[in-house]
Amino acid sequence: MPEVHIPIGPQHPALKEPVNFKVVVDGEKIVSLDLDISYNHRGIEKAAEKRDFIKVVPLLARVCGICSHSHTTTFVKGIEEAMKIEIPERAQYIRTIIAELERMHSHLLWLGVAAHEIGFNTLFMWTWRDRETIQDMLEEMTGNRVVYGINEVGGVRRDLTPSQIQAAFNHLLKLEDRFSKYGEMVKSDQNLQIRFRGVGKFTREEALKYGTVGPTARASGVDYDIRRDEPYLAYAEVPWKVITDTHGDVWGRTLVRLGEMHESLKIVRYCLENLPAGPISVPVPKTAPPSEILSRYEAPRGELVHFIRTNNTDKVERLDIRTPTMANWTSVAVSLVNQNIADIPVIVAAIDPCLSCTSRITVLNGRGGKAGVMTWDDLRKRGCGKNNKGRSVS
Amino acid sequence: MTGHLTLDTVRETMEGLGTAEQVNKFRIRIRTTPERIPRALLIAQSILKCDHLITISAVDNGTTFELLYHLTGPHRSVLSFTIELPRDKPEVHTVSDILPPAGIYERQIHDLLGIGFAGHPDLKRIILNEDWPADEFPMRKDWKPDPKTFYGGIRKEVV
Amino acid sequence: MTADSRTMSTRLADWARLKSPWVTVFNSGACNACDIEVIACLMPIFDVERFGILAKGSPRHADILIVTGPVTLKQSTRLRRIWEQMPEPKYVIAMGACGASGGVFHDLYHVMNGVESTIPVDVWVAGCPPRPDEIINAVVTCLNLMKEDLARGGKEWRQKKTGEAPASGPDSAGVPA
Repeated sequence: MPEVHIPIGPQHPALKEPVNFKVVVDGEKIVSLDLDISYNHRGIEKAAEKRDFIKVVPLLARVCGICSHSHTTTFVKGIEEAMKIEIPERAQYIRTIIAELERMHSHLLWLGVAAHEIGFNTLFMWTWRDRETIQDMLEEMTGNRVVYGINEVGGVRRDLTPSQIQAAFNHLLKLEDRFSKYGEMVKSDQNLQIRFRGVGKFTREEALKYGTVGPTARASGVDYDIRRDEPYLAYAEVPWKVITDTHGDVWGRTLVRLGEMHESLKIVRYCLENLPAGPISVPVPKTAPPSEILSRYEAPRGELVHFIRTNNTDKVERLDIRTPTMANWTSVAVSLVNQNIADIPVIVAAIDPCLSCTSRITVLNGRGGKAGVMTWDDLRKRGCGKNNKGRSVS
Repeated sequence: MTGHLTLDTVRETMEGLGTAEQVNKFRIRIRTTPERIPRALLIAQSILKCDHLITISAVDNGTTFELLYHLTGPHRSVLSFTIELPRDKPEVHTVSDILPPAGIYERQIHDLLGIGFAGHPDLKRIILNEDWPADEFPMRKDWKPDPKTFYGGIRKEVV
Repeated sequence: MTADSRTMSTRLADWARLKSPWVTVFNSGACNACDIEVIACLMPIFDVERFGILAKGSPRHADILIVTGPVTLKQSTRLRRIWEQMPEPKYVIAMGACGASGGVFHDLYHVMNGVESTIPVDVWVAGCPPRPDEIINAVVTCLNLMKEDLARGGKEWRQKKTGEAPASGPDSAGVPA
């Protein structure tokens, strides 16, 4: 029986970051999994110790381009807590608006990518086209499409003008219509249902045991959401609800993310309608008194944690970042065991990794020593072709 | 959804294992020793119903290393267990048998700070380059890149 | 301009290369902002597929390699391998501030400080991240360079010789002096 080692390595045609995991396969079923995430390590935590509070914010905005607002908000919120200052209400609302817009664009991105993994390229193109509407809104408000540097210690850097708010309402109307349409598309597409239901399933106990966070955990019924559990920004004042589901598989995660997109839209609309007047930032001292802060934030992918120690200087003593994808990797390793090779792209994409992968599969025949090579495209075609009999696959 | 854990409940449960103090409305810090940490975490999991390990943070204090284990549960309080390790021999028993997600966090701390985790099933490189020398730990306060050491990578030949 | 000494079949192949360049995107440890902007280029609204540009996974099928990120130590060996697998004529576009010099990550302990440290670069794009319009501009610049190089039989005409100023640098949109 040949033993197949699949190094799913660091390059992908259409996706984001690199990661490598070595999968050992027996026939079509996965036996074990090994993880290597050092491709993206840049030494940010060490650099943050040498930059003061103004210079470290652009560095942290570029930890991840998709959740850049999450990282900066978590950090400045922690430093504000250390300095014991309260930022104005208007700044809280503006930060919330940008945070929820980021969540919407991230979930749309995920929906497109998950659809792409099963060959449903129409949904890929349509969701990314609607992302452009959100990018336009963000550009009007903050000046950049991704990596919006709107946070600073003490508040936000730019204000919203009435014309921007009016334009945002028009965009939101359009988006609401599109989101309902995606909900219908996803529920009625047979192929998507077959590929997503029952795949990568884990129960509530397993989700808790392996430390999953975010929509991945909420899809298994784990009811943790930092916006409600430890309220920050404006979430305590805005009416919204946490979306959970009981399916526990990729389909459940899709439903949770679709629900969250609708909730985010409602939050943005409420915040824009009820934006309090006032200043957008307060003057802050240069140094932070010695303290230890655990700053938690609900990023689009899950719970983001910054552990900050300050020591009466204008730099942090220690910044320890734990990203949500790190927390979710253990569950991927576990949920992939006993699944089919063809489901690897879907299961990995389902945790919405802020990491990416591709490579070649080498099939080793133990006796003969013959080797063949497959690419990520071939893996996907295998998966798409699994249920597609007759439909063409791009 | 149960209410937040009170300081008294935590003090009572952690009797003999460590001292507790309230940091802010949501967070309680419990100071304990490396020998007692597996037992403390077991009790937190079973009696105090903490079912979610948030993260394990590691700090270099200059003279010691400090490890913090943050847990939370349906009560929404965060319990931070802190231990201090001597700088010349930083070792502690792994908790990945009690809390499986700790496996990844401990591997990362081992790579960056050089803290040993006895009993860990698989303590290999996770975050640094495979060519990285085995005894250099970047996150230690006294570490600076040595220009004579090879850290990896391929440079373009100068034409 | 020198007389075109290429045969008919060469001219046909060169025309095909210009009309349909295939692209591979390689993430050398980036924050992903550049990658999503590159993918946004392929999506409706910006749509580079109308230029015949396809994003392919395999470097062996690609004409242009787009590199994002400041090139971490680990990725530099892979980047070199990927670049060596590409068939000639090949072009490299280094994206963003990270590709040029390491960007915000300049001189950090796990970073090689830009793409030029590992492979030769033809076009740099400014921005953090560059907008899709700027990326399309870079690809068009690259195509103009490709056209010039194919007509002149290679890249030697624009490489700096020691002691001489270059005839026309890579950032002048390939227009000959």
